[in-house]
Amino acid sequence: MVDPLTMRRAGFRAMFVTIAAGFIFVRILPFMGAGDQLPAPDLLTILAFAWILRRPDYLPVWLIASVALLADILFMRPPGLWALATVLGSEFLRRRSHLTAEQPFPVEWLLVTGTLTLMHLGEALVLGVLMVPQPSFGATLLELMMTIATYPLVVVATAFVFGVRPPSPSERDAEARL
Amino acid sequence: MARQPHTADQFTRPVRRIFVGLLMFVLLATFLFWRIDSPRAERVRAQIVDQIVPSMDWALVPVTKLSGMVDNFQSYARIHEQNRQLRRELQQMKAWKEAALQLEQQNAKLLDLNKVRLDPKLTFITGVVLADSGSPFRKSVLLNIGARDGLQDGWAATDGLGLVGRISGVGQTSSRVILLTDSNSRVPAAIQPSGQRAIVAGDNSPNPPLDFLESADRVRPGDRVVSSGDGGVLPAGLLIGTVVQGSDNRLRVRPAADYERLEFLRVLRSSPPPGIDATGGLVAPLRDKQTVALPSPEPVAEATDG
Repeated sequence: MVDPLTMRRAGFRAMFVTIAAGFIFVRILPFMGAGDQLPAPDLLTILAFAWILRRPDYLPVWLIASVALLADILFMRPPGLWALATVLGSEFLRRRSHLTAEQPFPVEWLLVTGTLTLMHLGEALVLGVLMVPQPSFGATLLELMMTIATYPLVVVATAFVFGVRPPSPSERDAEARL
Repeated sequence: MARQPHTADQFTRPVRRIFVGLLMFVLLATFLFWRIDSPRAERVRAQIVDQIVPSMDWALVPVTKLSGMVDNFQSYARIHEQNRQLRRELQQMKAWKEAALQLEQQNAKLLDLNKVRLDPKLTFITGVVLADSGSPFRKSVLLNIGARDGLQDGWAATDGLGLVGRISGVGQTSSRVILLTDSNSRVPAAIQPSGQRAIVAGDNSPNPPLDFLESADRVRPGDRVVSSGDGGVLPAGLLIGTVVQGSDNRLRVRPAADYERLEFLRVLRSSPPPGIDATGGLVAPLRDKQTVALPSPEPVAEATDG
C-alpha cells in the first residue's frame, strides 16, 4: 500500500515534468518571429524556484538537474553549465525555504532576483574564463529582467493553478507522524 | 520544538550532501567535456535531439500550422492594401515575364549552339523545418532530413529565394541548419557589381553586418550580395541578399530569404572541389631516381647502377 504522501509527491513530480516538457515544446516551435523582439523569460528555472520555495519535498535535486540538462541540450546551450547553475541556485533556495514561508512576498522576490543574478554572473564568468563566445551583456541583462518580471506570475500560477502551497501546520504535523 | 523529520535529517543529510556533490560533478564534467571535445559533444547532442524532436513531430506540425493560420488570418485585415500592392507588382512582373521568355529562348539557342553541359552537381534535397533553437541567442532550425538522406555538414540551405544557412550537425533523421543571422555564422561573400569581397558575419540581429570590407566607398546600399565560394564550403554565386545601411551606419545585408516563414528548405548537394595539397610532379617521362656517384663505397654504387 502506497501512503498518500508518497502518492501526492509522485503526482506533483509528474506534473512538474509535464509542465517543463510543455515549456520546452513551446520554445522550440518554429514560429520565426522577427529577431528584434524581447527575449522570452527563462520560465523553467523560475518555475523550479517557485516550487522549491513552497514545497521543497516535491522537487528532488535529481529531477531539477535532469530537466535542466535536457533543456540545455535541446536549446543549444553549453550542456551542463546552466543545469549546474540551476542546481546550485535551487539548493541555495531549498535551505531558505522555511525562512521565506514566514516572510512577505517581496522578500522572496528579492531573494530569487539575487540568486538569478549570481547564476548569470557565474555563468558569464565560467564562459569568459574558458573563452566560449557568449551573447552580449545587454541581451543577457534583458533576458534576466524579463525573467524576474515574470516571477510573480509564475508564483501565482504555482499557488492557484497547480496548487503548490506551503504546508499548513496541521499538514506538517501529519507528515511528521508518517 | 523538536520534530521527527529533524532527527531523521541527521542521518540522511550527509548522504544527500554527497549525492548533490556527485550530481554537480557530473554536470560540470559534462560541460568540460563539451568544452574540450566540442565536435564529439555536438554529435552526441545531435543524436539526442534526433531521438527526441522527430518523435514530437505529430504535435509540432499542427501547432505550427495553426500559428500560420493565425498569421494568415491577421493578414486579412489589410487585404485591400495588399491587393493594390499585388496588382502593381503583377504589372511589373508581366513586363519581366516577357523579357524572361525572350531571354530563355535566346539562352536555349545559345546553349544549343555551344553544346554546353550544365553542371550536374547542384541537385538538392528538400526538408521541412521541424523546430527552432529555442534560445534567443542561437539562430538555427532543425530539418527532418539527415544522414539517412545523405546529408553532410557544411552543405548550403536555401529557401528558394536566397541562402538561409548551412548544415551544422547531422543526426540520423534530422539535421540542424545554422542561419546566417546566428552569431557563429561567417560566410564569405562577394558584392556585385563592384566585386568586393567581404564576410557576412551574423550577430543575432535580423540583418547581419558585412565584415572585412576592403573599401566601403565602392559599396552602395542596394547592391546584391552573393556567396563567393571562398573557403570551399559553400558553392559560389548563391544570392544572400542586398546591402542596406544600418542605423549604426554599418553596412549590413538584408537577407533575400524570408526568415519569418521558413517552412521548406532546400539543401544543395555540393561536393567540395578537389584540393591541391602537394607540389605537382614534372610532366616528363618517368625515370629512375638519379644518384650521385660517390667515390668511396663501391658495392652500393654498383647496386644502384644495375
